Amino acid sequence: MLNLLQSNFALESLEKFFSSMGFTAFFSEMGWGNLVMILIAFFLLYLAIKKEYEPMLMMTIAFGMLLTNLPGAGLFHEELFAGGHVHWDVFTSHDGPIAPGLLDYLYLGVKLGIYPCLIFVGVGAMTDFGPLIANPKSFLLGAAAQIGIFATFLAAYALGFTPEQAGSIGIIGGADGPTAIFLTAKLAPELLGPIAVAAYSYMALVPVIQPPIMRALTTKKERQIKMSTLRQVSKKERILFPIVIASIISLLLPDAAPLIGCLMLGNLMKESGVVERLSKTVQNELMNIVVIFLGLTVGATATANTFLSPSTIKIMVMGVVAFGVASACGVLFAKLMNCFLKEGNKINPLIGSAGVSAVPMAARVSQKVGQEENPSNFLLMHAMGPNVAGVVGSAVAAGLLLSFLG
Amino acid sequence: MMNMLAVTGWGWTEMIWCTVISVCLVFAVLVLLVFVMKLFGVIFTAQPKRKMAAVESKPVSDAQLHEEEIAAITAALKLYKSALHDRESEVLTIMSAKRAYSPWNSKIHGLTQLPDRK
Repeated sequence: MLNLLQSNFALESLEKFFSSMGFTAFFSEMGWGNLVMILIAFFLLYLAIKKEYEPMLMMTIAFGMLLTNLPGAGLFHEELFAGGHVHWDVFTSHDGPIAPGLLDYLYLGVKLGIYPCLIFVGVGAMTDFGPLIANPKSFLLGAAAQIGIFATFLAAYALGFTPEQAGSIGIIGGADGPTAIFLTAKLAPELLGPIAVAAYSYMALVPVIQPPIMRALTTKKERQIKMSTLRQVSKKERILFPIVIASIISLLLPDAAPLIGCLMLGNLMKESGVVERLSKTVQNELMNIVVIFLGLTVGATATANTFLSPSTIKIMVMGVVAFGVASACGVLFAKLMNCFLKEGNKINPLIGSAGVSAVPMAARVSQKVGQEENPSNFLLMHAMGPNVAGVVGSAVAAGLLLSFLG
Repeated sequence: MMNMLAVTGWGWTEMIWCTVISVCLVFAVLVLLVFVMKLFGVIFTAQPKRKMAAVESKPVSDAQLHEEEIAAITAALKLYKSALHDRESEVLTIMSAKRAYSPWNSKIHGLTQLPDRK
Protein backbone atom coordinates (compact mmCIF):
# COMPACT_ATOMS: atom_id res chain seq x y z
CA MET A 1 0.00 0.00 0.00
CA LEU A 2 2.80 2.32 0.97
CA ASN A 3 4.62 1.52 -2.22
CA LEU A 4 1.49 2.32 -4.15
CA LEU A 5 1.26 5.77 -2.57
CA GLN A 6 4.95 6.46 -2.86
CA SER A 7 5.04 5.81 -6.55
CA ASN A 8 4.09 8.93 -8.48
CA PHE A 9 2.51 6.89 -11.19
CA ALA A 10 -1.01 8.14 -10.52
CA LEU A 11 0.06 11.78 -10.28
CA GLU A 12 2.20 11.55 -13.36
CA SER A 13 -0.60 9.93 -15.31
CA LEU A 14 -3.05 12.59 -14.25
CA GLU A 15 -0.58 15.35 -15.04
CA LYS A 16 0.05 13.83 -18.45
CA PHE A 17 -3.66 13.56 -19.07
CA PHE A 18 -4.33 17.18 -18.03
CA SER A 19 -1.44 18.51 -20.09
CA SER A 20 -2.73 16.68 -23.16
CA MET A 21 -6.20 18.15 -22.75
CA GLY A 22 -7.23 20.84 -25.17
CA PHE A 23 -8.49 23.01 -22.32
CA THR A 24 -4.97 23.29 -20.90
CA ALA A 25 -3.66 24.52 -24.25
CA PHE A 26 -5.96 27.55 -24.05
CA PHE A 27 -3.72 28.86 -21.26
CA SER A 28 -0.50 28.26 -23.15
CA GLU A 29 1.16 30.66 -25.58
CA MET A 30 -1.29 31.78 -28.34
CA GLY A 31 -3.94 29.62 -26.66
CA TRP A 32 -6.14 32.69 -26.24
CA GLY A 33 -6.03 33.04 -30.04
CA ASN A 34 -7.62 29.63 -30.44
CA LEU A 35 -10.29 30.61 -27.97
CA VAL A 36 -11.06 33.80 -29.91
CA MET A 37 -11.19 31.82 -33.15
CA ILE A 38 -13.62 29.35 -31.60
CA LEU A 39 -15.84 32.26 -30.57
CA ILE A 40 -15.67 33.64 -34.14
CA ALA A 41 -16.63 30.17 -35.40
CA PHE A 42 -19.64 30.21 -33.04
CA PHE A 43 -20.64 33.63 -34.39
CA LEU A 44 -20.39 32.41 -37.99
CA LEU A 45 -22.44 29.33 -37.07
CA TYR A 46 -25.05 31.69 -35.62
CA LEU A 47 -25.07 33.69 -38.88
CA ALA A 48 -25.42 30.50 -40.92
CA ILE A 49 -28.13 28.86 -38.81
CA LYS A 50 -30.14 31.75 -37.44
CA LYS A 51 -29.68 34.38 -40.15
CA GLU A 52 -29.24 31.89 -43.02
CA TYR A 53 -26.25 33.76 -44.51
CA GLU A 54 -25.14 31.41 -47.30
CA PRO A 55 -25.67 28.52 -44.85
CA MET A 56 -24.41 25.79 -47.20
CA LEU A 57 -20.89 27.14 -47.10
CA MET A 58 -20.92 29.37 -44.05
CA MET A 59 -21.85 26.49 -41.77
CA THR A 60 -19.16 24.18 -43.09
CA ILE A 61 -16.54 26.97 -43.09
CA ALA A 62 -17.42 27.86 -39.50
CA PHE A 63 -17.25 24.23 -38.42
CA GLY A 64 -13.89 23.77 -40.14
CA MET A 65 -12.74 26.87 -38.29
CA LEU A 66 -13.93 25.37 -35.03
CA LEU A 67 -12.22 22.02 -35.64
CA THR A 68 -8.89 23.51 -36.68
CA ASN A 69 -8.74 25.71 -33.58
CA LEU A 70 -9.40 22.95 -31.08
CA PRO A 71 -5.94 22.57 -29.52
CA GLY A 72 -4.52 19.09 -29.74
CA ALA A 73 -7.07 17.80 -32.24
CA GLY A 74 -4.39 17.85 -34.95
CA LEU A 75 -6.86 17.86 -37.82
CA PHE A 76 -5.03 20.50 -39.85
CA HIS A 77 -1.37 21.53 -39.96
CA GLU A 78 -0.35 24.77 -41.64
CA GLU A 79 3.25 23.54 -41.74
CA LEU A 80 2.37 21.01 -44.44
CA PHE A 81 1.45 23.84 -46.79
CA ALA A 82 3.99 26.44 -45.63
CA GLY A 83 5.41 28.74 -48.28
CA GLY A 84 2.50 28.08 -50.61
CA HIS A 85 3.71 24.57 -51.47
CA VAL A 86 2.47 21.11 -50.52
CA HIS A 87 5.21 19.39 -48.53
CA TRP A 88 4.70 15.95 -50.02
CA ASP A 89 7.72 14.52 -48.20
CA VAL A 90 6.01 15.13 -44.84
CA PHE A 91 2.74 13.72 -46.16
CA THR A 92 4.32 10.49 -47.25
CA SER A 93 6.73 9.93 -44.37
CA HIS A 94 5.16 7.70 -41.73
CA ASP A 95 7.55 8.53 -38.90
CA GLY A 96 7.90 12.27 -39.49
CA PRO A 97 7.35 15.00 -36.89
CA ILE A 98 3.83 15.73 -38.15
CA ALA A 99 1.09 13.16 -38.56
CA PRO A 100 -1.26 14.62 -41.22
CA GLY A 101 -4.85 14.98 -40.07
CA LEU A 102 -8.11 14.42 -41.90
CA LEU A 103 -8.43 18.06 -42.98
CA ASP A 104 -4.84 18.06 -44.27
CA TYR A 105 -5.77 15.37 -46.75
CA LEU A 106 -9.05 17.02 -47.71
CA TYR A 107 -7.32 20.40 -48.13
CA LEU A 108 -5.30 18.96 -51.01
CA GLY A 109 -8.47 19.32 -53.09
CA VAL A 110 -8.40 23.08 -52.50
CA LYS A 111 -4.65 23.41 -52.86
CA LEU A 112 -4.62 21.53 -56.15
CA GLY A 113 -7.63 23.52 -57.43
CA ILE A 114 -9.94 20.51 -57.64
CA TYR A 115 -12.95 21.54 -55.53
CA PRO A 116 -13.66 24.97 -57.07
CA CYS A 117 -13.64 23.41 -60.53
CA LEU A 118 -15.96 20.57 -59.49
CA ILE A 119 -18.32 23.14 -57.99
CA PHE A 120 -18.24 25.01 -61.28
CA VAL A 121 -19.41 21.84 -63.08
CA GLY A 122 -22.47 21.88 -60.79
CA VAL A 123 -22.95 25.64 -61.18
CA GLY A 124 -22.84 25.23 -64.96
CA ALA A 125 -25.47 22.48 -64.81
CA MET A 126 -27.73 24.74 -62.75
CA THR A 127 -27.27 27.88 -64.85
CA ASP A 128 -29.52 28.98 -67.66
CA PHE A 129 -27.45 30.94 -70.17
CA GLY A 130 -30.57 31.61 -72.29
CA PRO A 131 -30.94 35.30 -71.26
CA LEU A 132 -27.27 35.90 -72.08
CA ILE A 133 -27.56 34.20 -75.48
CA ALA A 134 -30.71 36.20 -76.23
CA ASN A 135 -29.08 39.50 -75.24
CA PRO A 136 -25.29 39.29 -75.82
CA LYS A 137 -24.88 42.95 -74.78
CA SER A 138 -25.11 41.59 -71.23
CA PHE A 139 -21.50 40.45 -71.59
CA LEU A 140 -20.45 44.11 -71.47
CA LEU A 141 -22.21 44.62 -68.14
CA GLY A 142 -20.50 41.49 -66.85
CA ALA A 143 -17.18 42.96 -67.96
CA ALA A 144 -17.88 46.38 -66.39
CA ALA A 145 -18.55 44.84 -63.00
CA GLN A 146 -15.08 43.29 -63.06
CA ILE A 147 -13.56 46.77 -62.79
CA GLY A 148 -14.31 46.41 -59.08
CA ILE A 149 -11.80 43.55 -58.92
CA PHE A 150 -9.01 45.62 -60.40
CA ALA A 151 -9.82 48.79 -58.43
CA THR A 152 -9.60 46.73 -55.23
CA PHE A 153 -6.41 45.11 -56.52
CA LEU A 154 -4.78 48.56 -56.55
CA ALA A 155 -6.37 49.62 -53.25
CA ALA A 156 -5.14 46.46 -51.49
CA TYR A 157 -1.64 47.05 -52.83
CA ALA A 158 -1.78 50.60 -51.48
CA LEU A 159 -2.63 49.13 -48.07
CA GLY A 160 0.59 47.13 -48.04
CA PHE A 161 -0.42 43.75 -49.45
CA THR A 162 1.81 42.02 -51.98
CA PRO A 163 0.59 41.97 -55.62
CA GLU A 164 -0.45 38.29 -55.22
CA GLN A 165 -2.38 39.02 -52.05
CA ALA A 166 -3.90 42.13 -53.63
CA GLY A 167 -5.09 40.06 -56.60
CA SER A 168 -6.68 37.51 -54.27
CA ILE A 169 -8.41 40.26 -52.28
CA GLY A 170 -9.59 41.99 -55.45
CA ILE A 171 -11.29 38.84 -56.72
CA ILE A 172 -13.76 39.11 -53.81
CA GLY A 173 -15.37 41.81 -55.99
CA GLY A 174 -16.19 39.09 -58.50
CA ALA A 175 -18.72 37.82 -55.93
CA ASP A 176 -17.88 34.30 -56.98
CA GLY A 177 -16.84 32.02 -54.12
CA PRO A 178 -15.24 29.15 -56.07
CA THR A 179 -13.28 31.58 -58.27
CA ALA A 180 -12.03 33.49 -55.22
CA ILE A 181 -10.94 30.24 -53.55
CA PHE A 182 -9.34 28.93 -56.76
CA LEU A 183 -7.27 32.08 -57.23
CA THR A 184 -6.36 32.57 -53.57
CA ALA A 185 -5.25 28.95 -53.17
CA LYS A 186 -2.79 29.56 -56.01
CA LEU A 187 -1.65 33.12 -55.28
CA ALA A 188 -1.96 33.75 -51.55
CA PRO A 189 -2.93 30.55 -49.69
CA GLU A 190 -2.11 32.19 -46.36
CA LEU A 191 -5.15 34.47 -46.83
CA LEU A 192 -7.57 31.73 -47.87
CA GLY A 193 -9.54 31.72 -44.62
CA PRO A 194 -10.25 35.46 -44.35
CA ILE A 195 -10.89 35.82 -48.09
CA ALA A 196 -13.37 32.93 -48.17
CA VAL A 197 -15.20 34.26 -45.12
CA ALA A 198 -15.29 37.78 -46.62
CA ALA A 199 -16.44 36.53 -50.05
CA TYR A 200 -19.28 34.40 -48.71
CA SER A 201 -20.34 36.94 -46.06
CA TYR A 202 -20.65 39.73 -48.60
CA MET A 203 -22.36 37.46 -51.12
CA ALA A 204 -25.00 36.86 -48.49
CA LEU A 205 -25.17 40.61 -47.91
CA VAL A 206 -25.75 41.47 -51.58
CA PRO A 207 -29.40 42.49 -50.85
CA VAL A 208 -28.08 44.92 -48.22
CA ILE A 209 -25.00 46.29 -50.03
CA GLN A 210 -26.35 46.77 -53.54
CA PRO A 211 -29.73 48.59 -53.31
CA PRO A 212 -28.39 51.88 -51.82
CA ILE A 213 -25.68 52.02 -54.50
CA MET A 214 -28.22 51.26 -57.25
CA ARG A 215 -30.61 53.96 -56.02
CA ALA A 216 -27.85 56.53 -55.56
CA LEU A 217 -26.56 56.14 -59.11
CA THR A 218 -29.89 56.09 -60.99
CA THR A 219 -32.82 58.43 -61.43
CA LYS A 220 -36.41 57.38 -60.79
CA LYS A 221 -37.07 57.58 -64.55
CA GLU A 222 -34.13 55.27 -65.29
CA ARG A 223 -35.28 52.74 -62.72
CA GLN A 224 -38.68 52.63 -64.41
CA ILE A 225 -37.35 51.69 -67.86
CA LYS A 226 -39.15 48.67 -69.23
CA MET A 227 -37.09 46.38 -71.38
CA SER A 228 -38.37 44.55 -74.47
CA THR A 229 -39.05 40.83 -74.19
CA LEU A 230 -36.09 38.55 -74.88
CA ARG A 231 -36.17 36.40 -77.99
CA GLN A 232 -36.61 32.66 -77.84
CA VAL A 233 -33.34 30.74 -77.77
CA SER A 234 -33.24 27.50 -79.72
CA LYS A 235 -31.88 24.24 -78.35
CA LYS A 236 -29.08 24.26 -80.92
CA GLU A 237 -27.86 27.63 -79.64
CA ARG A 238 -27.98 26.42 -76.06
CA ILE A 239 -25.91 23.35 -76.95
CA LEU A 240 -23.38 25.22 -79.07
CA PHE A 241 -22.93 28.04 -76.52
CA PRO A 242 -20.90 26.09 -73.91
CA ILE A 243 -18.77 24.40 -76.57
CA VAL A 244 -17.93 27.66 -78.35
CA ILE A 245 -17.34 29.71 -75.17
CA ALA A 246 -15.13 27.03 -73.57
CA SER A 247 -13.07 26.76 -76.75
CA ILE A 248 -12.65 30.51 -77.31
CA ILE A 249 -11.82 31.46 -73.72
CA SER A 250 -9.52 28.49 -73.17
CA LEU A 251 -7.60 29.34 -76.32
CA LEU A 252 -7.37 33.02 -75.41
CA LEU A 253 -6.67 32.51 -71.70
CA PRO A 254 -5.34 29.05 -70.87
CA ASP A 255 -5.22 29.97 -67.16
CA ALA A 256 -9.00 30.41 -67.12
CA ALA A 257 -9.54 27.04 -68.82
CA PRO A 258 -10.11 24.94 -65.66
CA LEU A 259 -12.90 27.20 -64.39
CA ILE A 260 -14.56 28.02 -67.71
CA GLY A 261 -14.10 24.47 -69.00
CA CYS A 262 -15.82 22.97 -65.97
CA LEU A 263 -18.59 25.60 -65.98
CA MET A 264 -19.37 24.93 -69.62
CA LEU A 265 -19.11 21.15 -69.23
CA GLY A 266 -21.83 21.27 -66.59
CA ASN A 267 -23.96 23.49 -68.80
CA LEU A 268 -23.53 21.19 -71.78
CA MET A 269 -24.67 18.24 -69.64
CA LYS A 270 -27.84 20.15 -68.82
CA GLU A 271 -28.60 21.57 -72.25
CA SER A 272 -27.80 18.48 -74.32
CA GLY A 273 -30.52 16.57 -72.47
CA VAL A 274 -28.88 13.23 -73.22
CA VAL A 275 -27.04 12.76 -69.91
CA GLU A 276 -29.86 13.44 -67.50
CA ARG A 277 -28.32 11.27 -64.80
CA LEU A 278 -24.94 13.02 -64.98
CA SER A 279 -26.60 16.42 -64.97
CA LYS A 280 -28.62 15.57 -61.87
CA THR A 281 -25.56 14.11 -60.16
CA VAL A 282 -23.38 17.17 -60.67
CA GLN A 283 -26.21 19.48 -59.59
CA ASN A 284 -26.94 17.56 -56.42
CA GLU A 285 -24.73 14.78 -55.07
CA LEU A 286 -21.38 15.91 -56.45
CA MET A 287 -22.03 19.57 -55.65
CA ASN A 288 -23.12 18.79 -52.10
CA ILE A 289 -20.17 16.51 -51.38
CA VAL A 290 -17.67 19.03 -52.73
CA VAL A 291 -19.32 21.87 -50.79
CA ILE A 292 -18.76 19.93 -47.57
CA PHE A 293 -15.09 19.29 -48.35
CA LEU A 294 -14.49 22.82 -49.61
CA GLY A 295 -16.18 24.55 -46.71
CA LEU A 296 -14.55 22.41 -44.04
CA THR A 297 -11.05 22.76 -45.42
CA VAL A 298 -11.27 26.46 -46.23
CA GLY A 299 -12.51 27.03 -42.69
CA ALA A 300 -9.63 24.92 -41.42
CA THR A 301 -7.12 27.35 -42.89
CA ALA A 302 -8.49 30.08 -40.60
CA THR A 303 -6.13 29.39 -37.74
CA ALA A 304 -5.43 31.92 -35.02
CA ASN A 305 -1.99 32.67 -36.52
CA THR A 306 -3.36 33.70 -39.90
CA PHE A 307 -6.81 35.02 -39.02
CA LEU A 308 -6.10 37.14 -35.98
CA SER A 309 -4.07 39.79 -37.70
CA PRO A 310 -4.70 43.36 -38.89
CA SER A 311 -4.70 42.07 -42.48
CA THR A 312 -8.01 40.26 -41.82
CA ILE A 313 -9.71 43.53 -40.91
CA LYS A 314 -8.22 45.12 -44.02
CA ILE A 315 -9.51 42.23 -46.13
CA MET A 316 -13.00 42.62 -44.68
CA VAL A 317 -12.98 46.36 -45.50
CA MET A 318 -11.52 45.75 -48.96
CA GLY A 319 -14.23 43.12 -49.59
CA VAL A 320 -16.99 45.70 -49.14
CA VAL A 321 -15.09 48.15 -51.33
CA ALA A 322 -14.72 45.47 -54.02
CA PHE A 323 -18.44 44.63 -53.93
CA GLY A 324 -19.52 48.26 -53.91
CA VAL A 325 -17.23 49.35 -56.74
CA ALA A 326 -18.18 46.31 -58.85
CA SER A 327 -21.90 47.03 -58.41
CA ALA A 328 -21.44 50.74 -59.11
CA CYS A 329 -19.37 50.07 -62.26
CA GLY A 330 -22.10 47.75 -63.60
CA VAL A 331 -24.82 50.38 -63.06
CA LEU A 332 -22.73 53.22 -64.50
CA PHE A 333 -21.75 51.20 -67.56
CA ALA A 334 -25.42 50.38 -68.21
CA LYS A 335 -26.12 54.12 -68.13
CA LEU A 336 -23.24 54.70 -70.55
CA MET A 337 -24.62 52.05 -72.89
CA ASN A 338 -27.99 53.81 -72.87
CA CYS A 339 -26.34 56.89 -74.39
CA PHE A 340 -25.71 54.86 -77.55
CA LEU A 341 -28.94 52.86 -77.65
CA LYS A 342 -32.10 53.92 -79.48
CA GLU A 343 -35.28 54.79 -77.59
CA GLY A 344 -37.18 51.55 -77.01
CA ASN A 345 -33.98 49.52 -76.91
CA LYS A 346 -32.68 51.16 -73.73
CA ILE A 347 -31.68 48.98 -70.84
CA ASN A 348 -32.68 49.47 -67.23
CA PRO A 349 -29.42 50.44 -65.41
CA LEU A 350 -30.52 48.38 -62.41
CA ILE A 351 -29.56 45.20 -64.25
CA GLY A 352 -25.95 46.47 -64.40
CA SER A 353 -25.36 45.68 -60.76
CA ALA A 354 -26.15 42.03 -61.49
CA GLY A 355 -22.87 41.96 -63.40
CA VAL A 356 -21.19 40.89 -60.18
CA SER A 357 -21.72 37.12 -60.19
CA ALA A 358 -23.62 36.14 -56.98
CA VAL A 359 -26.08 34.09 -59.06
CA PRO A 360 -29.06 34.51 -58.74
CA MET A 361 -29.05 36.79 -55.70
CA ALA A 362 -27.81 39.88 -57.59
CA ALA A 363 -30.42 39.40 -60.33
CA ARG A 364 -33.14 39.13 -57.69
CA VAL A 365 -31.98 42.40 -56.16
CA SER A 366 -32.30 44.11 -59.57
CA GLN A 367 -35.82 42.71 -59.91
CA LYS A 368 -36.80 43.83 -56.41
CA VAL A 369 -35.43 47.38 -56.72
CA GLY A 370 -37.02 47.68 -60.19
CA GLN A 371 -40.42 46.60 -58.90
CA GLU A 372 -40.29 49.14 -56.08
CA GLU A 373 -40.44 51.85 -58.75
CA ASN A 374 -42.73 50.09 -61.16
CA PRO A 375 -44.57 46.97 -59.92
CA SER A 376 -45.36 45.88 -63.47
CA ASN A 377 -41.67 45.82 -64.44
CA PHE A 378 -40.10 42.36 -64.55
CA LEU A 379 -36.34 42.64 -64.74
CA LEU A 380 -35.37 39.21 -63.44
CA MET A 381 -34.72 37.50 -66.78
CA HIS A 382 -32.99 40.61 -68.16
CA ALA A 383 -30.76 40.74 -65.07
CA MET A 384 -29.89 37.06 -65.38
CA GLY A 385 -27.94 37.92 -68.57
CA PRO A 386 -25.35 40.17 -66.86
CA ASN A 387 -25.47 37.90 -63.83
CA VAL A 388 -24.22 34.82 -65.70
CA ALA A 389 -21.94 37.05 -67.80
CA GLY A 390 -20.41 38.06 -64.47
CA VAL A 391 -19.55 34.41 -63.76
CA VAL A 392 -17.72 34.22 -67.09
CA GLY A 393 -16.16 37.66 -66.51
CA SER A 394 -14.84 36.86 -63.05
CA ALA A 395 -13.36 33.58 -64.32
CA VAL A 396 -11.64 35.54 -67.11
CA ALA A 397 -10.37 38.12 -64.58
CA ALA A 398 -9.08 35.30 -62.35
CA GLY A 399 -7.31 33.75 -65.35
CA LEU A 400 -5.68 37.08 -66.17
CA LEU A 401 -4.52 37.66 -62.59
CA LEU A 402 -3.16 34.13 -62.50
CA SER A 403 -1.29 34.59 -65.75
CA PHE A 404 0.26 37.88 -64.55
CA LEU A 405 0.95 36.97 -60.93
CA GLY A 406 1.05 33.16 -60.87
CA MET B 1 3.51 36.40 -43.73
CA MET B 2 3.40 39.34 -46.07
CA ASN B 3 5.73 39.48 -49.06
CA MET B 4 6.07 35.72 -48.82
CA LEU B 5 5.18 35.19 -52.45
CA ALA B 6 5.84 38.66 -53.81
CA VAL B 7 6.32 39.06 -57.53
CA THR B 8 9.90 40.23 -57.56
CA GLY B 9 10.47 43.85 -58.42
CA TRP B 10 6.85 44.94 -58.80
CA GLY B 11 6.16 48.56 -57.99
CA TRP B 12 3.34 51.00 -58.70
CA THR B 13 4.21 51.23 -62.41
CA GLU B 14 3.86 47.48 -62.90
CA MET B 15 0.70 47.37 -60.80
CA ILE B 16 -0.99 50.12 -62.79
CA TRP B 17 0.05 48.60 -66.12
CA CYS B 18 -1.17 45.19 -64.97
CA THR B 19 -4.53 46.72 -63.99
CA VAL B 20 -4.97 48.64 -67.24
CA ILE B 21 -4.00 45.67 -69.39
CA SER B 22 -6.24 43.31 -67.39
CA VAL B 23 -9.29 45.59 -67.62
CA CYS B 24 -8.72 46.03 -71.36
CA LEU B 25 -8.30 42.29 -71.86
CA VAL B 26 -11.44 41.44 -69.86
CA PHE B 27 -13.40 43.86 -72.06
CA ALA B 28 -11.70 42.60 -75.23
CA VAL B 29 -12.53 38.95 -74.46
CA LEU B 30 -16.13 39.72 -73.53
CA VAL B 31 -16.63 42.06 -76.52
CA LEU B 32 -15.37 39.24 -78.73
CA LEU B 33 -17.97 36.99 -77.11
CA VAL B 34 -20.66 39.63 -77.79
CA PHE B 35 -19.82 39.46 -81.50
CA VAL B 36 -19.73 35.66 -81.47
CA MET B 37 -23.13 35.55 -79.81
CA LYS B 38 -24.51 38.20 -82.19
CA LEU B 39 -23.37 35.97 -85.05
CA PHE B 40 -25.14 33.07 -83.34
CA GLY B 41 -28.29 35.17 -83.17
CA VAL B 42 -28.10 36.13 -86.84
CA ILE B 43 -27.60 32.51 -87.94
CA PHE B 44 -30.20 30.98 -85.68
CA THR B 45 -32.90 33.61 -86.10
CA ALA B 46 -32.44 33.59 -89.87
CA GLN B 47 -33.04 29.83 -90.07
CA PRO B 48 -36.54 29.80 -88.54
CA LYS B 49 -37.49 32.78 -90.75
CA ARG B 50 -36.42 30.83 -93.83
CA LYS B 51 -38.42 27.83 -92.66
CA MET B 52 -41.43 30.02 -91.95
CA ALA B 53 -41.15 31.55 -95.42
CA ALA B 54 -40.96 28.08 -96.96
CA VAL B 55 -44.08 26.99 -95.08
CA GLU B 56 -45.96 30.16 -95.98
CA SER B 57 -45.11 29.81 -99.68
CA LYS B 58 -46.79 26.38 -99.82
CA PRO B 59 -50.49 26.43 -100.88
CA VAL B 60 -52.81 25.94 -97.92
CA SER B 61 -54.90 22.80 -98.34
CA ASP B 62 -58.55 22.63 -97.34
CA ALA B 63 -57.70 19.94 -94.80
CA GLN B 64 -55.64 22.44 -92.70
CA LEU B 65 -57.31 24.18 -89.81
CA HIS B 66 -57.82 27.94 -89.65
CA GLU B 67 -56.69 29.98 -86.67
CA GLU B 68 -60.27 30.55 -85.51
CA GLU B 69 -60.92 26.81 -85.53
CA ILE B 70 -57.76 26.12 -83.55
CA ALA B 71 -58.74 28.81 -81.03
CA ALA B 72 -62.24 27.31 -80.68
CA ILE B 73 -60.86 23.79 -80.14
CA THR B 74 -58.31 25.07 -77.61
CA ALA B 75 -60.98 27.01 -75.71
CA ALA B 76 -63.25 23.95 -75.66
CA LEU B 77 -60.43 21.74 -74.38
CA LYS B 78 -59.55 24.32 -71.72
CA LEU B 79 -63.18 24.50 -70.55
CA TYR B 80 -63.44 20.73 -70.50
CA LYS B 81 -60.21 20.33 -68.52
CA SER B 82 -61.09 23.05 -66.01
CA ALA B 83 -64.57 21.55 -65.52
CA LEU B 84 -63.09 18.19 -64.61
CA HIS B 85 -62.22 19.25 -61.06
CA ASP B 86 -65.22 21.44 -60.33
CA ARG B 87 -66.76 18.82 -58.06
CA GLU B 88 -64.91 16.59 -55.75
CA SER B 89 -65.83 12.93 -55.81
CA GLU B 90 -67.00 13.11 -52.19
CA VAL B 91 -65.73 9.63 -51.60
CA LEU B 92 -63.21 9.47 -48.81
CA THR B 93 -60.95 6.51 -48.45
CA ILE B 94 -59.16 5.96 -45.20
CA MET B 95 -56.00 4.05 -45.79
CA SER B 96 -54.89 1.86 -42.96
CA ALA B 97 -51.32 2.57 -41.99
CA LYS B 98 -49.56 -0.67 -41.25
CA ARG B 99 -46.66 -0.52 -38.87
CA ALA B 100 -44.41 -3.37 -38.02
CA TYR B 101 -44.64 -4.29 -34.34
CA SER B 102 -41.65 -3.23 -32.32
CA PRO B 103 -41.28 -3.66 -28.58
CA TRP B 104 -39.22 -0.43 -28.49
CA ASN B 105 -42.25 1.80 -28.87
CA SER B 106 -44.87 -0.52 -27.43
CA LYS B 107 -47.06 1.12 -24.82
CA ILE B 108 -47.98 -2.26 -23.38
CA HIS B 109 -44.41 -2.78 -22.29
CA GLY B 110 -43.77 0.86 -21.47
CA LEU B 111 -46.72 1.60 -19.20
CA THR B 112 -47.54 0.02 -15.93
CA GLN B 113 -50.75 -1.91 -16.33
CA LEU B 114 -53.50 -0.87 -13.97
CA PRO B 115 -55.08 -3.50 -11.76
CA ASP B 116 -58.31 -4.90 -13.13
CA ARG B 117 -61.07 -3.84 -10.71
CA LYS B 118 -64.11 -5.98 -11.23
